[in-house]
Amino acid sequence: MTRGRGLLMICAALAAGPVRAEDPAIATFAEETEAAGFAHSFTGEWEFMVGGGTAVFDCSGDGRPDVFAAGGTAPGQMFRNDSETGGALRLTPVESGLEQEAVSGAYPIDIDGDGVIDVALLRVGPDRLMRGLGECRFEDASAAWGFDGLDLWSTAFAATWEAGQDWPTLAVGTYIDRAQEAFPWGNCTPNHLYRPAGGGGFAAPLPLEPGFCALSILFTDWDRQGTPDLRVSNDREYYKGGQEQLWRIEPGQPPVAFTEADGWQRLRIWGMGIAQEDITFDGFPEFYLTSMADNKLQTLAEVPAEGAPKPRYRDVALKAGVTAHRPYTGDDLRPSTAWHAQFGDVNNDGLSDLFVVKGNVWEMPDFAQADPNNLLLQRADGTFLESGDRAGVASMRQGRGGALADLNMDGWLDMVVINRNEPAQVWRNMGADAGADAGRWVQVALEMPGPNRQAVGAWIEVKLADGLVQQREVTIGGGHVGGVLGWHHFGLGTAETTEVRVRWPDGTVGPWQALAADAFWTLAPGAEPVRRE
Amino acid sequence: MKIFKGVYVALAVVACLGGAPALAGPAQDDRSEVLANWYRMILELVRHTPTQTPPVASRSFAYTAIIAYEATASGAPELQTLAGQLVWLDPLPVREAGVDYADDVVLNAAMARAVDVYFANTGPTGQRAKAALYKQLEGKVGAGVAADVLARSAAYGTAVADHVIAASEDDGGAVIENMGFPMTHTLGGEPQDWVPTNLIRLQQAPLLPAWGTNRPMVLPSGEACPLPPPPAYSEEPGSEFHAQAMEVYETSRALTDEQKRIARFWSDDPMLSPTPPGHWVAILFQIAARDQRPVEAQVDALVRLGIAVSDGFIVNWRDKYRYDLLRPITYIRRVIDPAWEPLLNTPPFPEYPSGHSTQSGAVAQVLTAVFGEGFAFTDSTHVDDGLAPRDFPDFWTAAREAGISRLYGGIHFRAAIDLGLEQGACVGDFVNGLKTWK
Repeated sequence: MTRGRGLLMICAALAAGPVRAEDPAIATFAEETEAAGFAHSFTGEWEFMVGGGTAVFDCSGDGRPDVFAAGGTAPGQMFRNDSETGGALRLTPVESGLEQEAVSGAYPIDIDGDGVIDVALLRVGPDRLMRGLGECRFEDASAAWGFDGLDLWSTAFAATWEAGQDWPTLAVGTYIDRAQEAFPWGNCTPNHLYRPAGGGGFAAPLPLEPGFCALSILFTDWDRQGTPDLRVSNDREYYKGGQEQLWRIEPGQPPVAFTEADGWQRLRIWGMGIAQEDITFDGFPEFYLTSMADNKLQTLAEVPAEGAPKPRYRDVALKAGVTAHRPYTGDDLRPSTAWHAQFGDVNNDGLSDLFVVKGNVWEMPDFAQADPNNLLLQRADGTFLESGDRAGVASMRQGRGGALADLNMDGWLDMVVINRNEPAQVWRNMGADAGADAGRWVQVALEMPGPNRQAVGAWIEVKLADGLVQQREVTIGGGHVGGVLGWHHFGLGTAETTEVRVRWPDGTVGPWQALAADAFWTLAPGAEPVRRE
Repeated sequence: MKIFKGVYVALAVVACLGGAPALAGPAQDDRSEVLANWYRMILELVRHTPTQTPPVASRSFAYTAIIAYEATASGAPELQTLAGQLVWLDPLPVREAGVDYADDVVLNAAMARAVDVYFANTGPTGQRAKAALYKQLEGKVGAGVAADVLARSAAYGTAVADHVIAASEDDGGAVIENMGFPMTHTLGGEPQDWVPTNLIRLQQAPLLPAWGTNRPMVLPSGEACPLPPPPAYSEEPGSEFHAQAMEVYETSRALTDEQKRIARFWSDDPMLSPTPPGHWVAILFQIAARDQRPVEAQVDALVRLGIAVSDGFIVNWRDKYRYDLLRPITYIRRVIDPAWEPLLNTPPFPEYPSGHSTQSGAVAQVLTAVFGEGFAFTDSTHVDDGLAPRDFPDFWTAAREAGISRLYGGIHFRAAIDLGLEQGACVGDFVNGLKTWK
């Protein structure tokens, strides 16, 4: 693979200071929380100081992403998306079977491959796998699927389909041994890997030890070798002898942690969230790791001409302008606390932007109490422009989870934020004023036969107007205790058409297929794209 | 005994609360148990409270130790108060004559108050842990104590703590903003001047540039124990400065496994360890547990250690910003090897003198006076973090190893280490002038 222009630009910036390309158009958002009927709070004290995830996926079968919000000590809540296309947001609370307490987060995943999305509920207590029944109804299938949810404080989730398997492999990250009241430090509980059992369901959980209090995990094919490994971001507040982790997950083999001998470099942060995107256009993903004060943007230190890279990363957050280390608006200049992070092209200019949810842990006086969420717009030179205040999304509430998803199906990514002990919020993206021909987009859903219906592990490649190719891995995991499953959104700038191809999880590469902009398309192996009418 | 692993293995013989099994044998001295548990908590809070960088931690260790000492001394006829010897400390509240006090209740209340104040800004887990520990200890030391004695003792312990706390508030170190990093800072601009050494936005300004103006504990003035300038800056091969940089560079390229172990053992990074002063506090408690030292002897050593590290950091920081010297990573990449990487992360403040060296020298001078020459010990501070214990024949050997560890780690030149240790000895001599035993 060759290096893309983004990395070259960042390298130039590292050498000579940031170069300011033309600032991107600012997408503006309108908060429609109340009008949409999105009434929900994630509540709780110490055991819910982390958590507050949201799962965004279509549970009703109408193709529109619905929203589930974890509730902590309050019941979780499912909201059916009744928004009109291009219209105001409308989220209707519905009885779903997910109204469970002690839920810290949730991820959508079609576990049993029946085409109906299921939900993994992460809890302070035994986790549960909830089978989707259609019409936004769910039932607890944990026992039926042989899933031992364990009685731990679960705070992270990821899933992949290992080669040759009909069922997914799940990874659950856990936090502190909550029985250790006076001396919890050094008492991180293990993470666990749930591999398929022969004949369906899951085998007994396999401990991933040592655990270092994970707050985000992600299966990622970081080295593009075709087999995802497990990236784990850990909270240094609680571990001893710990660090960030990367586990090699080879089919049929026990997990093995990457070490310094493999090139893995020790990094110790208050890891809280992982976002992945190839923002340098070299085919290898960058990782944004949220923390307290400075956040990290990691890019591979070296990509060899041949063979796999080593997992050595450089932090380019400072030069890219995404340290997001303190509030950028308001009077509170104490350091920030960042949680959920997600890349997405909110202004449809063809460059992925970065959304970060912020909020004080719990009255920590050395950190900002009024800590606005970030919406960092990528410039053409690979640096980012903070736009949260001008975009209208600079909420000062105690944010935790979040999501970017096109709720009203107008091609512009809307925003959901779950706050702790304060009402959750939703914003409608009103678009960006970049000219009449700009702001085009395409959204793609993958559909595979067999168990891995949503093609988790595939790479979607989209040609952009300037000859670059955006490559994005289909993943389940990362963020902060919540994720989005469904349409994959790509901004196209002024392009009226684009070409898209898919590297499917089994390694086969589909053809480049022309797609008209401003439309939703379903892609399947060996088939013509199907446009959603 | 899960909660007493690693650094706290030795403390297990005197302290056992929370979810752990009960102590074997009688609780022959609850004050030792109270002291050990609160210091276990303090060492955790130093590690887990973001403002507790090494200078700030040294201050916390000093004042909490003074409170522990005075609370103990108030009921121990063989100990004499430090009021007046520490010129900023007025006479402490005295116990009411003719009535009973429970000494362990006094100490527990004093320590609880001290920890509440000096770690007021810790996070939700620290707050929860502090409350849990106090509740557990209160139940233990209060068992069987008459209600009036209990109330009187707790009130007195709190009053002792409040007295010291009030005296500490105007020393210059009570308020830490932005985790100690100035919002604005103007770099010196000369070739020898310190410049940021990492890409962390918060650390583009150096840590606590005014710390050296804080009121010292025992030193006669903030100008005590001055150091000469570092070797004159030069990029010329053969110059003293260049030679010292070459020593760091060449050492780093040929590090032995033992040198790497030493560098990491004494790295003592803030937020990832109890910090350099906390490392020495941990050693002291390991010795106390090993030797079953009486609580009066423990607080004597503890208060001397606390004052030593606190004053050590004040004079060290004064000279760091007086000379504002660049770090090896800056010089070596500029002059010798642009691709050079040190073993350790370079701390975000000027190089000369080495803080770890100054405070370790101060501690070695003090503990040698307390325990005597040739006092051997095993340092298990970092077992929980996967670093094996190290054996030392005496305190100065350990201090010198702490100093040279910074050269192995690639973060200090030799002059900063050698002269830092000397500066520490100077500070220690002042501390050794304190009279604690009657």
